Amino acid sequence: MAIKKFVVGSFDDEAVLFPAVKKVRKAGYKIHDVYTPFPIHGLDQVMGLRDTSLHTAGFIYGITGTATALSFMGWVFTRDWPLNIGGKPNFPLPAFIPITFELTVLFSAVGMVLTFCYLCQLAPFVKKHHFHERATDDLFVMVLECTSRTNEEDAKAFLASVGAKEINVQVAEADWWLGRYDKDEKLFENKAEKSLA
Amino acid sequence: MASLRYESQVREPLVTGTKTYHDVTQDIVRPIEMKPSFLWKVGFTISVLLLLFGVYSVYREVVYGIGEWNLNKTIGWGWDITNFVWWVGIGHAGTLISAILLLFRQGWRTGVNRAAEAMTIFAVMCAGQFPIFHMGRVWMAFFVLPYPNTRGPLWVNFSSPLLWDVFAISTYFTVSLLFWYSGLLPDIATVRDRAREKWRKHMYGVLSFGWTGSTKHWQRHEALSLVLAGLSTPLVLSVHTIVSFDFATSVIPGWHTTIFPPYFVAGAIFSGFAMVQTLLIITRKVLNLEDYITMEHIEVMNKVIVLTGSIVGVAYITELFISWYGQNVYEMAAFQNRWDLSTPYGWSYWLMMGCNVLAPQFFWFRKLRRNLLFTFFMSIIVNVGMWFERFVIIVTSVYRDYIPSSWSTYYAPTIWEVGFYLGTFGLFFTCFFLFAKYFPVIAIAEIKHILKKNGESFKENMVEEERATPEKFAHEHAH
Amino acid sequence: MSFREQFEIPAKYKMWSMILMAVGLVSILIGYFLYGAGDEHQNARFWGVLLYNSVYFLLVVNAAMFFICATTLAMGGWQLSFRRVSEAISVAVIPIGIISFVILIALVLGHQHHIYHWLTPGDDKLILGKKAFLNPTFFIVWTVLTIAGWILLGARMRKISAELDERGPLTKEEGKRYVYKTTVWGSLYLVWFALTVASTVPWLWFMSIDAHWYSTMYSWYTFASSFVAGIALMTLFVIYLKNHGYLELVNQEHLHDLGKFMFAFSIFWTYLWFSQFMLIWYANIPEETVYFKHRVQGPYRGIFFLNLIINFLAPLLILMRRSSKRNYTLLVFMSVLILFGHWIDFYQMVIGSISKDHVELNLFDFGVAAGFIGLIMWSAGNALTKRSLVVKNHPFLKESIIHHT
Repeated sequence: MAIKKFVVGSFDDEAVLFPAVKKVRKAGYKIHDVYTPFPIHGLDQVMGLRDTSLHTAGFIYGITGTATALSFMGWVFTRDWPLNIGGKPNFPLPAFIPITFELTVLFSAVGMVLTFCYLCQLAPFVKKHHFHERATDDLFVMVLECTSRTNEEDAKAFLASVGAKEINVQVAEADWWLGRYDKDEKLFENKAEKSLA
Repeated sequence: MASLRYESQVREPLVTGTKTYHDVTQDIVRPIEMKPSFLWKVGFTISVLLLLFGVYSVYREVVYGIGEWNLNKTIGWGWDITNFVWWVGIGHAGTLISAILLLFRQGWRTGVNRAAEAMTIFAVMCAGQFPIFHMGRVWMAFFVLPYPNTRGPLWVNFSSPLLWDVFAISTYFTVSLLFWYSGLLPDIATVRDRAREKWRKHMYGVLSFGWTGSTKHWQRHEALSLVLAGLSTPLVLSVHTIVSFDFATSVIPGWHTTIFPPYFVAGAIFSGFAMVQTLLIITRKVLNLEDYITMEHIEVMNKVIVLTGSIVGVAYITELFISWYGQNVYEMAAFQNRWDLSTPYGWSYWLMMGCNVLAPQFFWFRKLRRNLLFTFFMSIIVNVGMWFERFVIIVTSVYRDYIPSSWSTYYAPTIWEVGFYLGTFGLFFTCFFLFAKYFPVIAIAEIKHILKKNGESFKENMVEEERATPEKFAHEHAH
Repeated sequence: MSFREQFEIPAKYKMWSMILMAVGLVSILIGYFLYGAGDEHQNARFWGVLLYNSVYFLLVVNAAMFFICATTLAMGGWQLSFRRVSEAISVAVIPIGIISFVILIALVLGHQHHIYHWLTPGDDKLILGKKAFLNPTFFIVWTVLTIAGWILLGARMRKISAELDERGPLTKEEGKRYVYKTTVWGSLYLVWFALTVASTVPWLWFMSIDAHWYSTMYSWYTFASSFVAGIALMTLFVIYLKNHGYLELVNQEHLHDLGKFMFAFSIFWTYLWFSQFMLIWYANIPEETVYFKHRVQGPYRGIFFLNLIINFLAPLLILMRRSSKRNYTLLVFMSVLILFGHWIDFYQMVIGSISKDHVELNLFDFGVAAGFIGLIMWSAGNALTKRSLVVKNHPFLKESIIHHT
């Protein structure tokens, strides 16, 4: 939980956004995030974000599923309760393939989705500060975090110079909290303003 | 780096008209924000009534037992399993469209994938009812779960295709649901951020999981979608494959044949696309989405239908041919019970052939592929045909077993067996009506993503790139 | 940026293709003296090796034309940067088709009943019952039609593509008409392909070796096997040309996609393999298991598992990673491995049925294979020199230029 001050600039064209992100980074501003209504390929690279390793996690979950299925069925049919089914061996590998495959996929998919939700802090009743309500419609919203060395006015002017259409300063919670979207909670508003003043 | 948003002018645009990002949001979200139309209410009421009839039919079956259906000595699987396979088959197109076509980078899928995925989930829900209630003592259904029970512990039979089914269908349902919902998250957030009423803001706020559109989240979201697509592709094949194993692992003539797995999968895609056509032709009209589900989309799906229909045709003929080639009297008899019109069910085989193999051949003609009314008509025909495919496989293979004395009398369902089937239609359409009313039926974010490449007005700006020589073009844009 | 459109066959390439073809010819000659003149079993081995090699390489090069037609129907733009390579490979259908035809006809007319048992059915009721399908006349007629169909329709597709070079840039309307025309011919080819490779031909040429046995999956399985090998062959040619400074428009993105095809269709092959094997294993009916008995539990056990390791495990584990599909060296390695793996698959399909009691895989097999490889190199190489390497005026070419995964 941290209340911070942000300079927010909204762009209406992704073609303007790309060079803007580059320039802003070059000028040394700290980009808190860029909010876009749809995925923009390459934006993560331009922002200098690390590639995600979600795939690797998915692979690990998958082989966990494979191992679980094979070892469990193997244990049941060779140790716990061996049964003669159609005269086949007690460990009939071909007959185990379908379930093994399904569990591989199930573990991998469920694990990845949960990991995704955890990493992005997404869950029902989770609420975050939204810098612009059209960020999910047609605006590309670049949010700069003000550090102790940031001059707001300079930052605003700089954003305007790189093509931002709407620019403002917002003080907001940078993290998530449990809340409702129909209520406009002002979290620790007074405290935050005091501390920043 | 933002690469050039170019595609050949020869291709039809996937979004027609002059659209901005905001228009896309507006067009797709508007039906959600409006009061339900009269037509919607009528349709919804009919669906709920059908569902209630289904519930009553199932109630009769649960109370009086399987005898309420007309299953008899040799036909242990009748309408119920036919319906099961039919619904599962329909439940394949959604994941196919969203997963396989994502991997094949077919841009047109963006217009139809959301509705198709929803349809998939509802169809799988309907399918699941049949094996569960077919158990007879449905309160014992938990016996299929592999848990250390009090009977030994005696475990479930992991070598049984029926148990594979349990795993396959539940995995498929779960993964499809996750895939669908993770794709919905950003669009729900769009609805949330436009909402004015309090309840709407709260409801979509909860459903959106607090999605903001952060770049890092999008990056992970893209990775997730891609891997889920990669997983769903073999998964979608595996599900109908395993359903086909229910038949093919047995030694019943007409069921035991090695081509069943891929042939079932092709048939599933075939019927799934037909159902997508049925639903989307109505949806695009009612919700005014003709700019997003264009004739191009309809035509491409018709191409898939003629392709898969022909694959299924090759499989039918392969089966028929090999039944003769094998020179096995039992196989030959089983197939004679199909093709011979003088047998009690001969008509169903030819109905299947006509609907699934011959009828789709009309789609070789571009004029017919782009004819809405004809497409709608064909989509129904194909679904009827595919229902009869399962009926033929199940009923004609078992109604005459090895002992002529038990060759059963003509099998026809009771009203409660039919009622169960109608009830699943009720369930399916109730869900679909709710979905179409409360969720964006088109993937908003994905349409925006392709808009500047495939949108009609944006394509018109590509003239310069189109005119450039390949050398010049490559020099400027190749990476 | 200008393209190197004219391929000139490097001297080394030419030399190697000649050497390999010579090795093939010498192998056939030596093989004939070693086996062909021997007893019936040896004779059967001689012809069996010729049969599986010729049909394997025929189906592999034919897969290139299948790839062209399938991507044409799917309106795929990405593959145009190496379209002429696929076309050149498919030219090899002509010489290999003729050779295969000669071998197949020789088998039937030469009464090689140790390969095609049905040529002399005696009083075998089952085989007599199949007479309408398994008879020399139908075999010859259908084989002629099949191979002629592939050659003619393939030539037609290549001609339509070549016509583009003589025209200027297409207008939008011309482009649409052009795409429509290729789609029509492409779908005709595919229909013929479905009636031959995906159904009748594998039954006729291969499955009938075990004249009693049958499996409805057999043809689709054969198709999957040859298709994935065909993709591997295309990849090899693309990388070779790329390394020699041609195909400027091809980059890692295109190779990545070829890698994905190899990966996906290896899995697809495994899927069909599993479906066929598991169903027969599960039902355990003697008349069906007879096919797998000596393959799984007899002398072919090693080859049986080798087949799975090379064609399933290796592609699964190696090609799963994104980086390996973008690495030229690994792709070359995998392509060679897959080509070899499916060659082994064809080996066990044919020889496994001809010689059930002992496995013989020696220099004769490899020598004949080398001959066909040389022939493919020679014929595809020559075909490459005939036309521009870039399909300059194709309406989708630019999509291929900016293609990225």
